[in-house]
Amino acid sequence: MTDRRRFEQQVLPHIDAAFNLARWLTRNDHDAEDVVQDAMLRAYRHFEGLRGEARPWLLAIVRNACFSWIRRNRPAEVAAGPDEEAATAPADGPEALLARELDRRMLNEAIAALPLQFREVLILRELEDLSYREIARIADVPIGTVMSRLARARRLLAESVRVIAVASRLQTEK
Amino acid sequence: MKPEEAARLLHAYVDRELDAAKSLELEAQLAADPALRERFARLRELSAGIREKADYHAAPSSLAARLSAALPGAASIAPRRATRWILPAAAAALAAALAVGIALVRPGDEDALLREMVASHVRSTLGNRLIDVASSDQHTVKPWLSARLPFSPPVADFSPEGFELAGARVDYVGGRPVAVLVYKRRQHLIDAFIWPGSGPRDGAYSRDGFNVERSSVEGMRICLVSDLNRNELSDLARLLIARR
Repeated sequence: MTDRRRFEQQVLPHIDAAFNLARWLTRNDHDAEDVVQDAMLRAYRHFEGLRGEARPWLLAIVRNACFSWIRRNRPAEVAAGPDEEAATAPADGPEALLARELDRRMLNEAIAALPLQFREVLILRELEDLSYREIARIADVPIGTVMSRLARARRLLAESVRVIAVASRLQTEK
Repeated sequence: MKPEEAARLLHAYVDRELDAAKSLELEAQLAADPALRERFARLRELSAGIREKADYHAAPSSLAARLSAALPGAASIAPRRATRWILPAAAAALAAALAVGIALVRPGDEDALLREMVASHVRSTLGNRLIDVASSDQHTVKPWLSARLPFSPPVADFSPEGFELAGARVDYVGGRPVAVLVYKRRQHLIDAFIWPGSGPRDGAYSRDGFNVERSSVEGMRICLVSDLNRNELSDLARLLIARR
């Protein structure tokens, strides 16, 4: 079987996962397409290095391509995340939010507004259903950091959805 | 376990990442602490809410076409532009499956059988899904399959459990016609290959990034193929077996 054929069978089926991650990280369809195309060609060149499962392997390549792109085009976003110290503070905050109150549009806006390093773990966990170990490998951080970032991501998300909900309620009352 | 630690581990527990010993400890804490229980319930709801409502951005078909043109070597799979070639493709895929089936597979060749099922699953997802009968109604799907197969496969919708029956197709695997039930869970598609008689031994396997879960019940073989994680794939296997 040719390399191309094997690549088409093993890697290409994960193009949706690749695009979904890139789209959430770049927050833009057009940029996500460019980044995924670059990442896919890179994956093809390094195809021989694939051990184990193709999807996490591909997502690590896509993730790195996204970060390079963001560093080039929006350097402030990579530099200015909230510090890890705050992120590892004990979970005292409210996930106090009922899912049935979650408005689809608000939720998507709130996820898009999360700082990059929290958005990344949240998407990999909730939308790609990857294990902490796989996420740690993809984001190149220890598993403990995955845990704390995920906890922080969920708290931030619950908090900002609530703020958006209150704001929109005020809007309608006006 | 201190309350701070319990709160910290709650996320790992919701994500099913806690080891057995810690899980037991935390469960004891949950039983004793209503406030913690409340947080646990909300955290689960939040997680489920994200999975259900956050946008999953599928790759536009133009991207697959661009890639196909950019990759070196000749394309062997039609690019995913796909959606409109589904009818001719269904015929072509079936012909290909028949050809491959006859050329490669000896009965009892487990590995070839696995390969065939994964290939069938990949073909169907690349072609934006190969469903011959699209219905979540088991009373539509079951007679459709029974009319085309020499056996009557178990058919059930598990929407309440999060596995929505999307439809079914008939495929040809390991030299025999098989029923394929197609389930949807979030953005994942699961193919359940079902046929009577003998087959590969039970267990979970991973192949080319896809998980395969094999089981059998009352003379029927059930093989699930998906990129869904193993835990949830076994959940579906258990449901199918219980319903049989």
